[in-house]
Amino acid sequence: MGIKGLTKLLADNAPRGMKEQKFESFFGRKIAIDASMSIYQFLIVVGRSGTEMLTNEAGDVTSHLQGMFYRTIRLLEAGIKPIYVFDGQPPDLKNQELAKRSSKRADATEGLRLAVEAGNTEDIEKFSKRSVKVTKQHNEDCKKLLRLMGVPVIEAPSEAEAQCAALCKSGKAYAVASEDMDSLTFGAPRFLRHLMDPSSKKVPVMEFEIAKILEDLNISMDQFIDLCILSGCDYCDSIRGIGGQTALKLIRQHGSIEGIIENISKERYQIPEDWPYVEARRLFKEPNVIAEDEQEIKWASPDEEGLVSFLVNGNGFSADRVTKAIEKVKAAKNKSSQGRLDSFFKPAASTSIPLKRKGTSCTLGSLKPWGRPKMASIPAFSCWYLPRVSGSARLPSLELSSKHYVPFSRVVCFS
Amino acid sequence: MLELRLVQGSLLKKVMDAIKDLVNDANFDCSSASFALQAMDSSHVALVALLLRAEGFEHFRCDRNISMGMNLGNMAKMLKCAGNDDIITIKGDDGSDTVTFMFESPTQDKIADFEMKLMDIDSEHLGIPDAEYQAIVRMPSAEFMRICRDLATIGDTVVISVTKEGVKFSARGDMGSANIVLRQNTTVDKPEEATIIEMNEPVSLTFALRYMNSFTKATPLSNTVTLSLSAELPIVVEYKIAEMGYIRYYLAPKIEDDEEETKPEA
Repeated sequence: MGIKGLTKLLADNAPRGMKEQKFESFFGRKIAIDASMSIYQFLIVVGRSGTEMLTNEAGDVTSHLQGMFYRTIRLLEAGIKPIYVFDGQPPDLKNQELAKRSSKRADATEGLRLAVEAGNTEDIEKFSKRSVKVTKQHNEDCKKLLRLMGVPVIEAPSEAEAQCAALCKSGKAYAVASEDMDSLTFGAPRFLRHLMDPSSKKVPVMEFEIAKILEDLNISMDQFIDLCILSGCDYCDSIRGIGGQTALKLIRQHGSIEGIIENISKERYQIPEDWPYVEARRLFKEPNVIAEDEQEIKWASPDEEGLVSFLVNGNGFSADRVTKAIEKVKAAKNKSSQGRLDSFFKPAASTSIPLKRKGTSCTLGSLKPWGRPKMASIPAFSCWYLPRVSGSARLPSLELSSKHYVPFSRVVCFS
Repeated sequence: MLELRLVQGSLLKKVMDAIKDLVNDANFDCSSASFALQAMDSSHVALVALLLRAEGFEHFRCDRNISMGMNLGNMAKMLKCAGNDDIITIKGDDGSDTVTFMFESPTQDKIADFEMKLMDIDSEHLGIPDAEYQAIVRMPSAEFMRICRDLATIGDTVVISVTKEGVKFSARGDMGSANIVLRQNTTVDKPEEATIIEMNEPVSLTFALRYMNSFTKATPLSNTVTLSLSAELPIVVEYKIAEMGYIRYYLAPKIEDDEEETKPEA
């Protein structure tokens, strides 16, 4: 799934592009969410014990509805405006990957059967999770639920991540939320992970910013796409023996996959025959998406009766809990008109240097990007007296020194 | 190296009360001229800006621009341990990961040192441009607090409208609605009881009362409060801190739902 090892590669080489954020800080933001990925997660996690899953009276699984309903409410309550994007027809290049997944699933189903026969609970749990498949019906159920809740639903012509990225690029969404790293390869300016995790897990949201990532990796977007293809994507094989780290080095050295093919030793690395990297690259660069003007995105009031009849009568949800949840959706709707302060004021830099010396966590390649020393910048209050400062002045030397701070030569005087 | 000695220590306690409900963690920025803070609440809807100028301290030493990340809840707990007449000194050494609050009793017979751990806070500073506001209202701070509290019993939001006649605060909710109008009033015995309205253009904006009520926690710091409003901008609620500086709150207005289209984000 996604791009192999990209998270670690970025943590090692572009820590500035990754930032932990509080869930609340996305208040008022429009977020494009890869729905299929979420449904898959819900089917695995929500209301499961062994092979038993949440079902309605007819015996149909309802885990995905349960998950979708309550997690979406959590987003709405935090003032987040979700846009759910559903997968369409996968591109042909993905067939191989899909076939692989499907055979893995078949193996898991077989494994599950054996485990049930043997009564091995641990294996039952493991294989039943692996044999989960999101069906068309699951998708349709969720679309119906979301529409009743007044949440916009978009059906992508092809890959949902690509559509999400397009929404984000055109400014219709602030960020893309998925667990799949190829959102970045599709060019989403901002990408969030763990947004849909349950609050009980207390996982902070990880925000990736592509501009900063490219800056830190010191490569262009086209080169980043090549890097992802080399690391291993869903669309084609990669060159054996070249992982993320090597790929990054080679891309920096030779500029593109073509350059690499020309220059690397053919004996050492085996380049796959009929390697469709050009097509894969095109899928990332010009994916099949709906143009931005053709879609209207609106958050409406929830359809109370519809929700009750669908969830309570149709799927055996508790009437009490659904009514309470609808109240929450309505209350959240009122909140949605609150503006954010940073849409009026833009970030400025500050000159203060932390008194607290940040220890060794700032060594390069550290996995904790948030532990690095702060950039030198102008203190906030100076904004009132000084002309607007735009951008942040970076001292590259600061970043490398873990022990000594460079004295800041500029003195800001106040009247 | 940093050493700030404040004779009226109770002021710092009041400042903490005015901030800690809005913001959990924040960086204090100290320069040779002032001790300041700028922080947003977790949902990035409100911002608090504090400025205490060096002149207001009995002793103020800060060699370079320093920022100190503090948990405000913990800081408030420590400052609660200071007596109301105590002199408070804030001390920090270069490279140390703690800050020390020293409390001296007025008679100098008791000295307490409280040392607090600092934090790494990765916060965003916002540049706030100087703006001409369409309307500026100065009024007694206790009156403003009363109005916000009363309206919060009626509804969640307050509409603040300034016209030539005066300033109107209104709220509506399930049980009904409320309107409170204050007229310009400069003929009072004490200047701090006056209500002064400067208006270039009539303006009307809607705000969440929850935030307004948390701003009024600064009421003990000043007898008067100034509200600055413009149609295009967040409201500024300012409490002057006598001879030292100010505490200012910025709150983004509520926008009508039809204006749903996304503003381009920078």
